[in-house]
Amino acid sequence: MPEDRYLEPAVETMSRTALRELQEKRVLDLVPAAYENSPFYRELWDSHGVHPRDISSLEDFRERIPSFGKDVLRAYRARTGDPFGGLLHVQPSELNSITSSSGTTGDPEFFAEIWDGAPPLVTAQLRDLWELGLRPGDRVLSPPGTFRNLMDYGYHALGAVVISTNTWFGRMRETLEAVRRYRPAYMQLMYPQLVELEHMEKEYDLKELFSSLKGASCAGQPISPRMRQKVQNEWGVELYEYTSAADTGTAWECREHDGFHLWEDTVFAECLNPSGNEPVEEGQIGELVATDLDNRAAPLIRYRSEDLVRVSNETCGCGRTHGRMWVSGRRGDETLVGGRPVVLGDVWQAVEAEPETVAGVFQIVRPAREVDRLLVRVGYDPFLTTDTADLADRLRAGIGGRTGVEPELELHTEEELMQTVRSVAKFPRVVKR
Amino acid sequence: MARQETLSRACMLDHPPIAYLLAVPGPEGAVDCEVGWDDLARDAAWTQERLEAHGLKRGQQVAVSFSGHEGVWFQPVIEALRNLGVVYGSVEAMGWDHVRTRVFHRELDLHAILGLSGETLEALSGQVMIGDLLRDTPVILARPEGAERLRNAGVSAAVLSTLGPALAIECPERAGAHVNRAEWTVGEREGRLVLMAAAVRTAAGREFVLETRGTVRTERCACGSDDPRVVFA
Repeated sequence: MPEDRYLEPAVETMSRTALRELQEKRVLDLVPAAYENSPFYRELWDSHGVHPRDISSLEDFRERIPSFGKDVLRAYRARTGDPFGGLLHVQPSELNSITSSSGTTGDPEFFAEIWDGAPPLVTAQLRDLWELGLRPGDRVLSPPGTFRNLMDYGYHALGAVVISTNTWFGRMRETLEAVRRYRPAYMQLMYPQLVELEHMEKEYDLKELFSSLKGASCAGQPISPRMRQKVQNEWGVELYEYTSAADTGTAWECREHDGFHLWEDTVFAECLNPSGNEPVEEGQIGELVATDLDNRAAPLIRYRSEDLVRVSNETCGCGRTHGRMWVSGRRGDETLVGGRPVVLGDVWQAVEAEPETVAGVFQIVRPAREVDRLLVRVGYDPFLTTDTADLADRLRAGIGGRTGVEPELELHTEEELMQTVRSVAKFPRVVKR
Repeated sequence: MARQETLSRACMLDHPPIAYLLAVPGPEGAVDCEVGWDDLARDAAWTQERLEAHGLKRGQQVAVSFSGHEGVWFQPVIEALRNLGVVYGSVEAMGWDHVRTRVFHRELDLHAILGLSGETLEALSGQVMIGDLLRDTPVILARPEGAERLRNAGVSAAVLSTLGPALAIECPERAGAHVNRAEWTVGEREGRLVLMAAAVRTAAGREFVLETRGTVRTERCACGSDDPRVVFA
């Protein structure tokens, strides 16, 4: 078994037909339960003239059940005072735990959880961790965050031993000492940690230190090709990125590194026109809209994630049949400066092109999506420059050249900027102030 | 359902007897400590008794403030809460994430906050009056620096703290944080606290000279417990 590539081969490689049948069964169980137990869905569906008796297939579900986004849920919460936005299917006292979103775009929002054995988020990652190579007896460095619950339960479920050490930004010396001492097989390396490690690479032989790792995971924001190359080629760490599956779970890369796998026995994923309700053609970019198929507490049903993705149902090179997605950005991440669109990628490339800002630590600051001026906050390495005026000139020219918009710059040291991070999972690229 | 089936599959794997490994810092370097599954189960049972003494019971909501690297101490807290039927909310103990604690406090009907850190309170105090915010929360078990800050703000708080590899929890008498005497021997040496693992633990007989300073009280607590108690300096 430990040599097997799949943790659950029958599920991970089931035929698309069987997967669709499974999804249909779960959706048809879910819809009447949601109408009966969730005041939010009852109100939403009533207002659209939809009743569960109208839904007898996945096609009905897609055509009749309305999608909704974060704003609708927030409005319901504000109007009713229900902290769970009317989503709960059970009494609050029947929950086991309450976790919350990263809170990078506003107050954290609650996730209600019912579980036995291990919390839902990390349980849905066990197949991914297995694919990465985690096996019984392996050692894992504890990840820094707890806002989505204690992840150790999942590592323990796979038979791994957790090394208790503080791995948050600013503690990388301690982390490297733990790596040297305990030789872990797996750790999380979020963006702030990568930036901190990059500054230490002349002082430590990171390739030697990280040689015990079977892999490391990174989530919260896409990392640049340059950083990925560095981690993989110079530090010798196989990096597995993962992302949110529209708040129903997570979607990870497999060893093929060709898209994020959605576990479609836990989520019914649709890719819809961002400004409409119709599906986009397979392979085209659309908005990820998700339905929880395995959530007894507060399932999301046709929830619009604002993530712009491309989805494929083709079997992956790893042999798994579950769909994969490629994230192209967030709806609304594009900034209109005097009517001219500016995308994050262009700014990113310009920032990475300068040696002092090669770590790509930057944010676009905007009070609204449409602005008159482009304000970019950039973090630089103070050990590489004292002439920030010259750096600012080069950045202005680079960003201006790639975007066609002359930016206003706010320069900070990388450390200053990283200290403004308000989530262990995300470094926000677009901020209001 | 899917996740439960995944866990069932994982249960079929060989699981080692060790759940956690940690390096306990001391004046002469770090000392390894292994924590086994049986250790965790006994720690959870003892923690449950301590939390029951604070009146925690089924159906209540509490927030648990901790960091990802504190699982070895807080998994027993979570298991104790689950055994009691208490619904717990998970919040970060890091000061910069204080907004999360405030949102949980504002939106939920919290009967208790466990593990509240000095960092979180310091950050919150820049925005609100701590006393006004927390005075009506029936039970607060805070880290030592947090408990002191709360008491200064007129909020009744007991201590919940990591102590080397052990957990220390004050009872409602608030006369020092109890350490499970069946698992640990606690003493003082040259102003430092010293912990020794009992024979029953995976790390049996290992001594941990801690960087933490404080005094140990060994007389029976007014609550009736014979656990040694630590008063943090």
